[in-house]
Amino acid sequence: MIELIDRGIGALIAILKWAALVVALLLFVQWPLREWLQAYSREANDLGQWLFALFVAASVTAATRAHRHIAADGLARNYSAGTRRVIAAVGIVFGLLPWAMFVGWAGWPTVNRSVAVLERFQDTGNHGYFLVKVALLLLLVLIVLQAIVELIGKRTTAGPTA
Amino acid sequence: MSSLGLILIALVAIGVILTGLPAFVMLLIAASIGALAGLASGTFSVGVLGSVPQRLITLLESDILQALPLYLLMGALLNRLGLAEAIFRTGTTLMSPSRAAPMASSFLLGAMLGPMNGSVGASVLALSQTLGPRLVKAGVAPASREAIVAVASTLGVVVPPSLVLILLGDAMLTAHTIAINATGRSDRIVNTQDLLRGALAPAGLFILACLIVSWLIGRRIATADAQVQERSSSRDRFVAGLTVTFFVLLLGGVALGKFFAVEAAALGAVTMFIAASVAGKMRRGALGLLLSETIASTGALFAPLLAATTFTLILRLLGTDKLINDWVAALPGGETLAVISILGAIALAAFALDAFEIIFVAVPILAPPLLMRAPDAVWIGVLILLVLQMSFLLPPFGYALILARATLREPTKLFDVMRALAPFLVGQIAVLLLVIAVPQIVHLLDPPKPPPMVEPTLSKEELDARSKSITMPPPPPFGLPGLPPSLGGKP
Repeated sequence: MIELIDRGIGALIAILKWAALVVALLLFVQWPLREWLQAYSREANDLGQWLFALFVAASVTAATRAHRHIAADGLARNYSAGTRRVIAAVGIVFGLLPWAMFVGWAGWPTVNRSVAVLERFQDTGNHGYFLVKVALLLLLVLIVLQAIVELIGKRTTAGPTA
Repeated sequence: MSSLGLILIALVAIGVILTGLPAFVMLLIAASIGALAGLASGTFSVGVLGSVPQRLITLLESDILQALPLYLLMGALLNRLGLAEAIFRTGTTLMSPSRAAPMASSFLLGAMLGPMNGSVGASVLALSQTLGPRLVKAGVAPASREAIVAVASTLGVVVPPSLVLILLGDAMLTAHTIAINATGRSDRIVNTQDLLRGALAPAGLFILACLIVSWLIGRRIATADAQVQERSSSRDRFVAGLTVTFFVLLLGGVALGKFFAVEAAALGAVTMFIAASVAGKMRRGALGLLLSETIASTGALFAPLLAATTFTLILRLLGTDKLINDWVAALPGGETLAVISILGAIALAAFALDAFEIIFVAVPILAPPLLMRAPDAVWIGVLILLVLQMSFLLPPFGYALILARATLREPTKLFDVMRALAPFLVGQIAVLLLVIAVPQIVHLLDPPKPPPMVEPTLSKEELDARSKSITMPPPPPFGLPGLPPSLGGKP
């Protein structure tokens, strides 16, 4: 089961990492669209915005899996592997999990309402704004699932610096 | 409860060093403790904490933050294309036969790569790989090599349009808005563009100082120690010229307001991607690896931002911001002393935290009260950047210095490295003091203000004559012609 969750997270990140290219392209074209064509630049911006939100939602867990989080671990590198595993578990149990679960609980009604009406971007009326809010939920779900994998599986959070 | 916030800040700083946990995890632990304490003591209710999700959603839809992955993608592509090596070789060839050429090229490369590397840590890793072996070949002493890599890695903090600058611009915008609302002043609120322009002159001065120090070190290198340098090929020179021109245009476009930082980042990323594809560097899974690197680096920068957003809300709910506000207001002396005191606090924080964490945690708490006393937000922003840079270099705890020594693994003594670093630090501190003493430096590149309304100086006679000419004549005794009686017309 843990392996399945681990593979699922990996697969989702592998898909969403491509959003970086699409966002770059969309934000690049909005400049000529605005200056020369004088049309569709807001559409490109809005599309880029929700894709960016989904990309970021996956990015935090991607950093955890790649051991890229910024940490001043010069001293902790001298600790034994067992000590570092315990410290990492304390961080997950007293930091990551309570935060993710609280934000998920407090944010659920907002996300739910937004999805129910397929909320649009307020300024332009373009589709897809609800996906920005869904991205928050995705971010939290991925963090919780990764935390479970780290606690029960073999991965460790305390990695090297970015 | 307001003092609990200060304890939590100390807990984060000490916890980050002692546990080695990622800073964002420590921030979340501290936020959880603060939230529980606040709820238990009745300082705030669960309902108030309900604003956390909306604050996080605001980050996910932020226009300026969209620049983050784009810059990281651009930086990764730059490394993948081998442009760093081409620029280094070209710089060295152009400045030969001076023995300072490799060192001078190191700083120019640091100034180009730094703004896109994401963090000081990432810059140290990238520059150690590129510069380390080449400085050995150039006969540069081990202690000087560590000093050069450390200094070049911090250039990304001050050279626009860096990620640090973009994020600080966003944080300063919020801090300035709070300060203006609190004081009722009518200043224009600072934006990222203002900071980009403000940082250009001090950054240029510091790079100039680095080049002068390089030249002085180069004079001391014995000919026997310097091996034959790699010469640049004509392809190297073409690629380096094109890349430098492109980045100067990009930077110029942002500084002059031709396009936004996000659009510049997108333009850079797309251009680099096309160049990499044409050069055949995107084959066989290379693109996938590049994007994996980009998404992981983005997460490394976003995680502290998300955690700091939660943490600073808890500090506000505990009343810690008001406590700090009162302290700053009560600081004796004038504006400059208040600025120096706050910058000192930021410098101390930089011994434990990276630039991004300081921007996300310290700036939102410290900058608003400071801006209430010292209204020049661009000046304050640039000073924060310079202080951050200095702290990353100060021995023995300077973040960049420690990382550079750990990465290069030279057999050096700290004292020797401190001696090698000293002239660069003197240059850096000189620029910092200059900006403190002459705030106008950060406004050298400000766009021209619209000309003020010229009030001609008039003599008393001329004034009397004009007054008479604009004085309404008395109404005619039978009312004004053409108007109804109700408006004073003829009945």
